[in-house]
Amino acid sequence: MRPGYKKVERMTTFMRINHWVVAICMVAAIVTGLYIGHPYYQTLISEPAVNKYVMAWNRWVHFMVAIIFDVSSIVVAYLYFFSRFEKPILKILPTPKNIVEFVMVFINLITFNRVKKFDSSHADSFNTVYFLIFHLLLAWMLFSGLQLYVHGLESGHSSIGDWWPWVLHLATDWTVTVTGGTYMDVRYWHHISMYFIIVWVMFHIYYQVWRTIFWQEGDIAIVFGGSKFVKDNK
Amino acid sequence: MDRRDALMKLFSAKGVKVNTNRGEAYYNRLKEMMQKRLDELSNTPAVTKTDINKVLDAEGLSRRDFMKWASAITAMLMLPASFTPLVAKAAELMNRVPVIWIELQDCAGNSEAILRSDSPTIDELILETINLEFNETLMAAAGHQAEEHLDEAMKRFEGKYLCVVEGSVPIGAGKEWCTIGARGETFEKHLLRVSSKSAAVVAVGTCATFGGVPAAAPNPTGAVGVQDIVKGKPIINIPACPANPANITGTILHYVLTGQIPELDHLNRPKFAFGYRIHDNCERRAHFDAGEFVEEWGDEGAENNWCLYKMGCKGPMTFNNCSIVRYNSGTNWPIGAGHGCIGCSEPQFWDKYATERPMADSHFKAPTGGVEKTVDEFGLGLLSAAGIGIAIHAALSATAGKKEEEK
Repeated sequence: MRPGYKKVERMTTFMRINHWVVAICMVAAIVTGLYIGHPYYQTLISEPAVNKYVMAWNRWVHFMVAIIFDVSSIVVAYLYFFSRFEKPILKILPTPKNIVEFVMVFINLITFNRVKKFDSSHADSFNTVYFLIFHLLLAWMLFSGLQLYVHGLESGHSSIGDWWPWVLHLATDWTVTVTGGTYMDVRYWHHISMYFIIVWVMFHIYYQVWRTIFWQEGDIAIVFGGSKFVKDNK
Repeated sequence: MDRRDALMKLFSAKGVKVNTNRGEAYYNRLKEMMQKRLDELSNTPAVTKTDINKVLDAEGLSRRDFMKWASAITAMLMLPASFTPLVAKAAELMNRVPVIWIELQDCAGNSEAILRSDSPTIDELILETINLEFNETLMAAAGHQAEEHLDEAMKRFEGKYLCVVEGSVPIGAGKEWCTIGARGETFEKHLLRVSSKSAAVVAVGTCATFGGVPAAAPNPTGAVGVQDIVKGKPIINIPACPANPANITGTILHYVLTGQIPELDHLNRPKFAFGYRIHDNCERRAHFDAGEFVEEWGDEGAENNWCLYKMGCKGPMTFNNCSIVRYNSGTNWPIGAGHGCIGCSEPQFWDKYATERPMADSHFKAPTGGVEKTVDEFGLGLLSAAGIGIAIHAALSATAGKKEEEK
């Protein structure tokens, strides 16, 4: 370790595994989701249907990664409040301290790091709120996606029991009303939200690289090794 | 809809689950009730002289054909096979149920679908035998004479008749241009007056149920469905453009059998007809799963009856039984004829379903207003804007930014 620097732990092993699982699922969900919305390959290739399940496999992958997302979301929602490492909820509440930190980090971004008046050794309010936006988008995809999914369970039965479609209707029927009243609206918004998530990912990757370059604290290493380095002012 | 209604709707939407096996006790009770109801009906005098057996004879259909039809309808109504004789009896008693059929903003397409088919099915013949007290398209009377007849029928069968409505109700600016009859009654007043004394209201076709084509953007007449106007009456919606005669007959038969309306979904559609998606019973479904799609009209995929999803078929989000019951005596249906489903039994279908394109390519009003875009065009615009923003920030950071220096 370079003298004058100290190592700070920023992501636990679980958080890092979760990050990469979610990242891979995100790519898979976008690739398969675009196919489901508009099948863009493979129509006229190969012989007539013999063990050929292109759409079925795309949907299978889409639903599988969706379920992984759902489970991950439930765990992350729990950690917001009960994490023993850092509770994100403490950085989201609009306390004066958080608001000041949020503004200072934002100023740092728009002044291209000419002004840096906050402690960058722990998760800051700006980044935590940014992650909250992602988790809300993900929750929306979860509810709207499950609503679209339950249309195929109209018999009221599923392989894991009749409670499942019942729960899905109870938990997701509101998405039809809030998007405009038809099943098509839920599809539109499920699809549009994907673009908001891609925009979110673009800025997320850019911002972490930007921090690494301008702060010189090794931020990009957090998601691999779990820690970064900050100047030791002692 | 006020806020309270909207909230209630938000949290009380029912699923479309159809319970097809409710146990012996339930069906025995139901059978008794139906038996009683049919006995009561058969003791009342027939209001029309038309007898289903005579009609069938005239068309050269045997008693056996009729019983075959009765067992099919029993299955469609999701009743056990032992109910077939009751259904047959109910069909024979159809001439005891008075029906008043009114038309509003419509093309009479639903009437046409039922009455003008080339070789009538028993569904259509049954509707010939119902006691149709009033129907603008069919009756000979006109003007004051027709109005008088309507008043008389409403008085005579008060609280007993089914009010069948075809067409949407204009309630926007200029609604007074849409009037009916010699008294110049507006459609809204006409509907409210006729429905007020009925036993139940049956909205037939998508215009009457959800506004349909007249309600398509920009909806110049402010058209709405019957359920938006009529309150405090049981309402059954039988959407589709046109509504399938089998579903209309099924609903009326259910009413004759039980004196009640059938189990409805959250859009007031009978679950026996609208409980499942076109997609799930589609003859082309295997090609959907295989990823074999028609890419343009008349291509190799079209010749091989492949899936029409990429031509804009909305079967996966449309609840109706066309894929089983079909149209015109079960001859064919849109997807069978090589055209995708346009979702005509769903609300706002003309604006949101009948785009003839897959969802991702359908034009919709972008959140910025006015301009129509596809979801993907809007999304790519969003991505470009974000990319430009990031590029500008990166460039300014590189030129004007300050890297932390090591001490």
